[in-house]
This record gives sequence, C-alpha cells and structure tokens, in this order.
Amino acid sequence: MTMNLSHFEAAFLFSLFTSVVMGIVTKNTDRERLQYGAYVFVCFMAALFGIGWAMQLGHG
Amino acid sequence: MAKENEEKEKQPAPSIGAWVPAVALGWLIPGGGHLLLKRTGRGVLLGVAIGGMFVCGLLMRGAMFQPQSGDLLTTLINTGGFIGDLCSGILYLLTSWLGYAQPDMAGAVHDYGTKFLVTAGLLNLLAMVDVFEIAAKRKD
Repeated sequence: MTMNLSHFEAAFLFSLFTSVVMGIVTKNTDRERLQYGAYVFVCFMAALFGIGWAMQLGHG
Repeated sequence: MAKENEEKEKQPAPSIGAWVPAVALGWLIPGGGHLLLKRTGRGVLLGVAIGGMFVCGLLMRGAMFQPQSGDLLTTLINTGGFIGDLCSGILYLLTSWLGYAQPDMAGAVHDYGTKFLVTAGLLNLLAMVDVFEIAAKRKD
C-alpha cells in the first residue's frame, strides 16, 4: 500500500501533525495549546500559499 | 521577569529516577511518557500525530537515513537524519527489523516521505523534552 499525495496534500498533512505537537509541547493550559496549535497551522498555510504564489509569479 | 528566571535557574535538578523511565517510555512509544505521567489526552494526541506522520512517511515510501561519512554535508545530513529517524523509537525499530525501510528513490512524494519520517522523530524528541519538564515538575 502506498500514498501518492500532491504537494499540497503532503504539506497540509505535515502542517497538521506538526501543529498538533507544537501546540501540545509549548504551552501550559489547554486553551493556550489550542490557540497556539491553530496559530502554527495558520502560519504554515500562509507560508504554503504565500511561497507557492511567489514561485508562480516569479516563474512568470 | 528577571526574578522568575532566576528562580527557575535555582530549581534543583530532578532525581534520575523521576524522569528517566518516563522519558525512555516517551522515546520508545510516542506519547507513552505522557501516558505514564497521567497526561492521557496529550499522550494520545501526541501518539496519533507522531505515529500518523511516521506511517504517512512510510506509505509515501520515504527512505531511512544511514550514518555515512565523507564530506561535511553528507555526514551532517545522513547522521542527522539517522538520529531523527532513531528518535521515533519503536516505530523506527519495527520498520527496520521487519524490513519496511525503503531504499532512497528519486521523486517528490518519496522525498516528502523521507522528511515525514525524520520529522516524526524530531517531534518525538520535542515530546520527550516535554515529558522531562513534566516529570521534573517544571510544567503541569
């Protein structure tokens, strides 16, 4: 069994798993963990789309 | 703020018996250290996230690093990658022992898989540090 993911799907999964762990290990209360995990995930997504569009526009 | 930092620095080092079993279990089974310290929810979430990432990496046919010597960059990448893989604990051991480790192949998906495998180990390393802080009573 193998997985053939697109760049976006792979980056999305990577962001999701990483955000969960970063949220859990860095903060002290459940509310802070949830907020920080969501923040990290949004940052990943912003970087993904931002850099993606920058490459698209830069490539011409 | 400075006083808080000073107080933190003055905390005595925790006894080895207080943190070694939890950190060792956290290495062997991702999330296991948190479960041992009765942080069930966090332990399960960590296990699912780290285990999920590792399994995704395997399904993408990512390669496992082997320590190699040579030029500095080769040594750094391969030894660092090997340490990252090793941090996944039983996931890495089972993959190696049961022969699921893939050879390095060209391709974007395989490359993502390799990064997933290493990152799963590095995330488990972060989880182990968290377990240490909990066991040392520096964190709830």
